[in-house]
Amino acid sequence: MEAIGWTEILGRMAMQLLPVWLALAVVFAISITWKRRLGLYGKLFDSRVGMVGFALVMFWVFAALFADMIVTHDPLSQISGMRNATPGSPLRDPSGRYEYFLLGGDALARDVFSRMVMGAREVLRIAPFAAMISFMIGISLGLPAGYLGGRLDTGLTFVANLVLAFPVILLFFLLVAPEIQETAIPRVMAGILFIVPVLFFTVLLNARFFTQPARRNLYVGAVMVVGLWAYSGLAFNLDPLGVWGMSPNLLNVFVAVVFVNAPTVFRIVRGITLDIKTRDYVAAAQTRGEGTWYIMMWEILPNARGPLIVDFCLRIGYTTILLGTLGFFGLGVASESPDWGSTINQGRRLLTVYPHAAIAPALALMSLVLGLNLLADGLREESLKD
Amino acid sequence: MLLFLARRIGVMIVTALCLTFIVFYLTNLPAKLETLAKTQAGSRISDAEVASWLDRNGYNQPMLARYGEWLGVVPGWTRVDGDGDVTGRCYRAHGITDPGAAPARCGLLQGYWGESTRFRASVPDVIPPRLGATGLLMMWALIVMVPMALIVGVLAGMREGSRTDRTLSTFAIASTATPEYVSGVVFIALLASSTAGLSPLLSSWGWIDAPVLFQGNARSALEQITFWNFTLPVMTIALYGMGYVARITRASMAEVMTQQYIRTARLKGVSFANIVLRHALRNALIAPFTVIMLQIPWLLTGVVIVEVLFSYPGFGWTLFEAAVNNDIELLLAASVVAVIVVLLTQLISDIGYVWLNPRISVT
Amino acid sequence: MTHKKRKATELHCAAKLYARECSEGKLSRREFLTRATALGVAAPAAYGLLGLSAPAARADTPRMGGTLRIQMDIRAQRDPRTWDWAEPANVCRGWLEYLVQYNRDGTIIPVLLEDWEANDDATEYTLMVRQGVTWNNGDAFTAEHVAHNFERWCDTSVEGNSMASRMGAIMEDDALRDDAIELVDEHTLRLHLSRPDITLISGLADYPAAVVHPDFNGDPIGDPIGTGPYRPVSYDTGISAVVERNPDHTWWNEGNGAWLDRVEFIDLGTDPAAWVASAEGAEIDMLYETTGDFLGIFTAIGMEQSEAVTAATLVMRFNQDSEPYDNRAVRRALQTAINNAEVLELGYSDLGIVAENHHVCPIHPEYAELPPIEMDRDAALEMLAAEGHAETEFELISSDETFHADTCDNIAAQMRDAGINVRRTVLPGATFWNDWLTYPFSATSWAMRPLGVQTLDLAYRSGVAWNESAFSNEEFDALLDQANGIPDADERREVMARLQEIMQDEGVAIIPYWRSIFRHARPNVHNAEQHPTLEVHYQTYWMS
Repeated sequence: MEAIGWTEILGRMAMQLLPVWLALAVVFAISITWKRRLGLYGKLFDSRVGMVGFALVMFWVFAALFADMIVTHDPLSQISGMRNATPGSPLRDPSGRYEYFLLGGDALARDVFSRMVMGAREVLRIAPFAAMISFMIGISLGLPAGYLGGRLDTGLTFVANLVLAFPVILLFFLLVAPEIQETAIPRVMAGILFIVPVLFFTVLLNARFFTQPARRNLYVGAVMVVGLWAYSGLAFNLDPLGVWGMSPNLLNVFVAVVFVNAPTVFRIVRGITLDIKTRDYVAAAQTRGEGTWYIMMWEILPNARGPLIVDFCLRIGYTTILLGTLGFFGLGVASESPDWGSTINQGRRLLTVYPHAAIAPALALMSLVLGLNLLADGLREESLKD
Repeated sequence: MLLFLARRIGVMIVTALCLTFIVFYLTNLPAKLETLAKTQAGSRISDAEVASWLDRNGYNQPMLARYGEWLGVVPGWTRVDGDGDVTGRCYRAHGITDPGAAPARCGLLQGYWGESTRFRASVPDVIPPRLGATGLLMMWALIVMVPMALIVGVLAGMREGSRTDRTLSTFAIASTATPEYVSGVVFIALLASSTAGLSPLLSSWGWIDAPVLFQGNARSALEQITFWNFTLPVMTIALYGMGYVARITRASMAEVMTQQYIRTARLKGVSFANIVLRHALRNALIAPFTVIMLQIPWLLTGVVIVEVLFSYPGFGWTLFEAAVNNDIELLLAASVVAVIVVLLTQLISDIGYVWLNPRISVT
Repeated sequence: MTHKKRKATELHCAAKLYARECSEGKLSRREFLTRATALGVAAPAAYGLLGLSAPAARADTPRMGGTLRIQMDIRAQRDPRTWDWAEPANVCRGWLEYLVQYNRDGTIIPVLLEDWEANDDATEYTLMVRQGVTWNNGDAFTAEHVAHNFERWCDTSVEGNSMASRMGAIMEDDALRDDAIELVDEHTLRLHLSRPDITLISGLADYPAAVVHPDFNGDPIGDPIGTGPYRPVSYDTGISAVVERNPDHTWWNEGNGAWLDRVEFIDLGTDPAAWVASAEGAEIDMLYETTGDFLGIFTAIGMEQSEAVTAATLVMRFNQDSEPYDNRAVRRALQTAINNAEVLELGYSDLGIVAENHHVCPIHPEYAELPPIEMDRDAALEMLAAEGHAETEFELISSDETFHADTCDNIAAQMRDAGINVRRTVLPGATFWNDWLTYPFSATSWAMRPLGVQTLDLAYRSGVAWNESAFSNEEFDALLDQANGIPDADERREVMARLQEIMQDEGVAIIPYWRSIFRHARPNVHNAEQHPTLEVHYQTYWMS
């Protein structure tokens, strides 16, 4: 069989990505049709920058979702004769497999295209969730620190600054080391960090529905059941049903990423809270006699959402780059993992002779981070227009 | 002002103490000590040999006592060898073996920073030259990055929404979206390879004598920095750091340009160039100044990737080597240096902020 | 014990036997040379036994002068006997010399010895110490100094003293046996072994066997008393090491080496891409070791490649003390799922020869050829299913060194192709060694040893310190004892065949290949070809 040219490679890749195109088309059609009813999200479709960013991000989200349908080969299987194969190389003996390595093979004869697509799943499995948990921790601690002030504020600010004074890379070397996995440290840290989202939602709903005990009990109860179920699985690997769970390795990386990000979020939230708590509507709520948590969660937080959403997008991008850095230093991730950081690191060594193995995941990573940045920019612009 | 400084220094000391204790704890876990013994005495030594090595080198005491030894508040360990010679922390520090000749305590308070197990040298001999090397790299990175970032930011921010703004902003975003481990490698492939990128072209045209345009390795910069061996690492750092500063500058500039006094100046008929240079610039630079100061601690450790990629033995590289080899005392000293740099730059940025913006005072 | 004194020209009878085997094709020329010279036959005489003349010296005359820059890891220095890497030895080789030296062509030549002789059953060795050698502090080199070194090598109270494992035959109670060394005169000493040991002399060529002065304090850089022509200038761990020709010392071998003025070892980290960048910038002249895909790259930028075929390998062993590897059928099934040729192709870039899951290499003299092993993925899965392990997830652990990780990744991929669940774990190099003896299923790198029995003795005999597979088999141990006592290689080969079979049948480990090692140097660097045990003999290198 002959090797195929770039036109055909691109055509075949577009074919493989068909589910992604369909999903994107549906999302955009729906969003643009009803953009006036969709609040800040709808306004995104007024900004060209925002739309481009959103499209890039959603492209990778859908690629990750439909990865099983898109990949042409198993991302871990090595096929004899395909070491460092150039893009479009045919398989020596397809026998039921896809006939080509669309973006070539890497140094271990694995399909670069499939690894890139599967890598999206690896990256999007960690980065957004780590950013989300960092945000919940930052918010849960930043709101009281800014609103209540005093000793609590001094103490929390000191701890946040302590973590921030740590050279990030040193922290990762210390926390992600295999020796640490044998100790209780990651479990304890996960135990502390992962309980915060559960508490966050409990307090959030409790403050809102305090006056309606029936609804409150229902909502809070539901949060507690689901939250503690996930908590037991994620933090302690004790989920009785085995739905939630994380390998010790992944947990370690996850905890370290959250640990590094949370203090920054804390500082942002605290700063915004200090600003907002002097506003009239907060004073009004205070005179109405609303509870402290209600004011924080339902008066201050919604008004702080603009900058927080923007920072959230940026932080996912930053976390993606950070995970790549870990891959660069050979920390944390499993050896065969197709995540972009490790793939770039393995491919870069041979960049001058076989560029495809490193360029494909590098472009993927850059486009995702670029998309997140553009999305953040679009959101910022549109939220400022209010 | 004095009170403010005193409080800052107090915070710095408490932070450094907490931080070093955490580092000490994490590097002295039993498994980490076993790794240390195996890297020091031989990777295939038996468990008994590990135990005897740890015992002989004073690693078998309670962790808190050893942290105290490092600080210099607890007497250093000693042990008597079979032949009557005494060894111990303070004996090794002073290089003596006569019983009773060494002081009881030797640690930070006595000015003793310890020995690096990785580099087989005393810590004060290891850190300063490395810090100096990183200082040079940082200086050049800042020299390239700051003017570039400010120019891009000011040009983009002075006419918000214009085509210049869109182009420059996208460039700035793209540069922050390109991590160093991608841009550095691409630079090497494009500019420092005799088989790929630009160099073979230039070479075949006879424009360069050497097979490559730039050196893809900065080791020789340790002895002498030249344009050819230092450009790539400097550019790699500058490019990644630039985007962020440029965006802050742009936002700050855009905000200043909408202020009342700028409008007044425009209405008075002052030329656009004059407005930007005389009126807007100073106020627009307050925010970027603090950001640039806060970039310095990031540069200090963020350069790890670049230093490892270009094999340039600076502070980040030392940190990397110390962390990989669990070099306890070197890591502790490095964290102290990192804390001081972080908090010092924060202090400078606060003071500078006040200086640039007379409406705010430190007290 | 009687000792038959032989003249230097008289040849050891075993050596003649080997020569016959060699000409019959049972022994390759390399192995013949290794074994014959280890028994005290001078290299030219050994070539003579084969009816060949020793290769003539290079026609070009070496040129004096020049600075050679070598890329190599600069690891922390320590007492030579505790060296666990060849790199620290390579730096010190210019002043710390050896009693004997293992050469690229497989011969062992005397260096600080003038000659040595073994008796017929290899239980008594006579070492003739070279006359006219002086230390660079002015002292004359004597047999007493050699005895002092043997004593150091036998001292097991020093952690990590790896020489002790090579000196078993002259040791007792963790130290040198009192009557093991007999000082005959100022330049002759005799070793009395407690059991036959044909590997003793090869052990003296290993890198931890550097000969030090009696006043040596344990730091070869700070206290560089040696016999060689060079001396250290600087040594910065992780960065560089510089040595220069010692102007204050007359070398015993003056005129036959020490051409270079200065040698700079530069540590550019573990990433070969950084080495390429440096080589492209003309900042290094020679690479210590080049691997895999980088061979082509270095050749493309104008460097010359040299190769050494070795018996070094990567052993994916099962620890038989851990579940489920205590089950022979499971081990056999996992072996059956692997195509060793594909492991070599994808895991080590096809740079070596395929091995057969036992630890005796075709370049070992006693290697016995066995029927080829067969890969059968369906059968492998069936065997696992029969043992109730069809769904078990197997964890394969390796260090993060490139070829270790690549090889294991390929083995994992092949296991997956067979439908077996497998998980890979990669540990940083420093951490990996913490539990290397007890991991259930992991990859360990083994260096080359001249004789097949040596590695079997070290790693597979019941209860020995480095038995990482927890393999314990009475028949194997008994046969191994028997093999150690058989001087005749033909007879021994019969025993070896059975030993190799046992290793295969018991599913001790997956041993997929024997790897070749490579080196690149600029064309103007001469005499610097890769050495099978990665030695850098810079005292004989020269540049044009």
